[in-house]
Amino acid sequence: MKSLRTFFARWDDARERAATVLSMNRRNLHYIYTRNQREHFPLADDKMLAKEVLVAAGVRMPETYRAYSYFFELRHLEHDLDAYHDFVIKPAQGSGGNGIIVIVGRSGRDWLGISGKIYTLYDLQKHISDIIFGVFSFDLGDRAIIESRIVQHPEMQELSPLGLADVRIIMCDDRPVMSMTRIPTRQSDGKANLHQGALGVAIDIASGITTHGRFLGESVERHPDSGINVIGRTLPFWPEIVELAKRAARAVPLKYLGVDISISPDGPQLLEINVRPGLEIQNVNERGMLSILQAMTMKGSVDGE
Amino acid sequence: MINKSGNARRGVYILVLAVMVLLPMSVTAYKLYVLDYPLAGLIPASSYKVEVSMQVDGHGEDIDIHTYLPKTDSRQSVDSEQNSSGVFTAELKSDQLNREALWKAENVRGTQSILYAYEVRARHVRYKIPADMTIPDSYPASLALYLVAEPGVQKDDPQIEAALRGIVPMEKPTILDAVTRIHRHLQDNLANRDFSGYTDALTALKLGEASCNGKSRLFVAFARKLNIPARLVGGLIMQQGSKRTSHQWVEVYINGHWVPFDTINDHFAEIPANFLTLYYGDLVLFKHTANVNFQYFFKITKQLVTQPDVQSALSQSVLNVTNFYAFFDRVGISQNLLKILLMLPLGALVTVVFRNVVGFETFGTFLPALIASAARDTGLMWGLVGFLAIILISAIVRRALDWLQLLHSPKMAIMLTTVVIVMMAITVGGVKIGLFELAHMTLFPIAILAITAERVALMEAEQGAMKVARITFMTLIVIAACYAVMESLFMQSLILAFPELLLVVIALNLWLGKWIGIRVLEFVRFRRLILDPQGMGSKA
Repeated sequence: MKSLRTFFARWDDARERAATVLSMNRRNLHYIYTRNQREHFPLADDKMLAKEVLVAAGVRMPETYRAYSYFFELRHLEHDLDAYHDFVIKPAQGSGGNGIIVIVGRSGRDWLGISGKIYTLYDLQKHISDIIFGVFSFDLGDRAIIESRIVQHPEMQELSPLGLADVRIIMCDDRPVMSMTRIPTRQSDGKANLHQGALGVAIDIASGITTHGRFLGESVERHPDSGINVIGRTLPFWPEIVELAKRAARAVPLKYLGVDISISPDGPQLLEINVRPGLEIQNVNERGMLSILQAMTMKGSVDGE
Repeated sequence: MINKSGNARRGVYILVLAVMVLLPMSVTAYKLYVLDYPLAGLIPASSYKVEVSMQVDGHGEDIDIHTYLPKTDSRQSVDSEQNSSGVFTAELKSDQLNREALWKAENVRGTQSILYAYEVRARHVRYKIPADMTIPDSYPASLALYLVAEPGVQKDDPQIEAALRGIVPMEKPTILDAVTRIHRHLQDNLANRDFSGYTDALTALKLGEASCNGKSRLFVAFARKLNIPARLVGGLIMQQGSKRTSHQWVEVYINGHWVPFDTINDHFAEIPANFLTLYYGDLVLFKHTANVNFQYFFKITKQLVTQPDVQSALSQSVLNVTNFYAFFDRVGISQNLLKILLMLPLGALVTVVFRNVVGFETFGTFLPALIASAARDTGLMWGLVGFLAIILISAIVRRALDWLQLLHSPKMAIMLTTVVIVMMAITVGGVKIGLFELAHMTLFPIAILAITAERVALMEAEQGAMKVARITFMTLIVIAACYAVMESLFMQSLILAFPELLLVVIALNLWLGKWIGIRVLEFVRFRRLILDPQGMGSKA
């Protein structure tokens, strides 16, 4: 009898806590569909389009050098690239950090990738044509963007020695809800993608101090490769980062979105906005997001509840 | 502004939902209560597919083969007849009682075979014989031939007469008394012999043992001697498997009905649902030209089928489902195709439940339902194997082509070509080793193959082999679930009889479309947030 009562007590507790978690169905129905009109989705899905709008609103972003939409444009690729020492090639409609090549310099006639890999002209042409063909965008076609490479702030470089870390902030009605930084690992192959094995570190929005780490479904305090402690650090330029996120959110008609920001030595730069930000951030923060969202939208709620 | 349009949307949602539930429910209720649809029609019926295989060896002579084919009557219905007779031409004849098939060929050389197949659905019938009915003194002239002696039915033989007096000693027995005594005597006192040759009535009596034909002839002789019309029936006991043995039993004319008796299997005035009547009279099932090494066997496959035709006998109302299907029939859309079409929404609903309630990821929303309906022809297992084969081939070919460094579209085209070639190879291989389910693999709709192959290749490039393996596994489970629902005979009968229930499927999807609960797999994903009190922050 007693164990049964304990079971029900625990069951009730679990139910109560489950009510604080934002689920996929609820995120889609109550946050994405009600706050983001379908016709505005391309703004977030197409990085070129987003950049136009955001830069016009005064949001700092990496500079676009070139964009390729057709194969014939690739004939001049070598000539085009000669003008730049380092750059990033990415699909305009890619997701999850896929299809991105970071070039840090030349190696004879070839190019040197950030991981030390050598790219020939043919490699780059092939990669760009794959992008144009839509290999990375689940679509019929796409554009390839060549843009300036962000050099990481030294403090971030210490935190994330294997690649560019980004800061993800979930914005609802132009206000920050939850945030984390995603740090590439050997496991994630240099990508800041949690599902591919990047390290996620929760950030307290008010202070910019890191609170919890999560790597491959486990709580951690240290970077799995460098062994450096990632908890209790204050991110550089934190007030500026939050300000940038708010400015970006206000600039677009999307009212529930994920904002991805990188920190260079002279301040934060916005990488992209995401109209379907993932839910894993809750595990990284070890906290459900629904209770925060509900508290934020209590007044004049359009939540439908 | 948002609130206002939100309220309007909510109103429309509830209205549509109500219509989608109430409309089909009332149509169904109307059919059940006003049109009197039988619910029994929803229970699947047993059906038997009977294949008669015949084979001869010719040495240049003309060969005739003759047999009897079953007729549709009030107890058994025969359809989907197929004749595949090679060098033989087939000729069908029908008279009052029997249907005959005659296959003819000239100058036959070598081994030749004939396959005749049909599907049978039959009922179990039991007769009640009035207890006080006496044996009539005279019958209509048309029954005279069922009262006379025949070469195998020696009803006037003194030994048979004497035996009959011992079995039915009364001067004026009732019919019930007479047939009961004859039946019990033959069933209990004459041993069953598993002997396939011909036994006449007298021989059976003398030996005190007989197979079905001997007992039946003796039964007919006894009955006719008592002035009760009786006849032999030749047929087949339908059981899953292959057999050469046919069966004979008896029908006795009582009170205007031909009442069946089987004194081998002790069926008194009844006939089971798996008895197939092939012919009436003292006839031989197969006749053929001599010395051609004639071989035959019956292959019988039991299957469950829906019985939509139960509704066909019903009202002529526009809501009668049969009339509705007649439109499709008129333009040549088969009931089978219609069934696939009608079951697809259910498959999609199953997929939706798995995706939005359980939290599975699948290749597309329609793909599992489509694969499941493609698996109709191959069976579930080979359907899943085929699906896995496509995934595997796509993955392997993509890797190989990646290494060659080709552009995307030509790569996809090569992959599709490879998939098609492998599917054809599987079909040929299936026929060669006699696995005909496998041979139907080619019927996997090619569009589905194309979509699957491309999606798999893209996903593998984008998200890695592990992710593809996981989604493949989940998709397999969902395909199996779709198959279970879509191939369920009960569901098929239900939807065929009440197609308006598809609106309820829409209603369920409308409801699921607003369901904001936590998916089962999300409980697993966020288990620490839900189960571990330490991991929780305070509520903001």
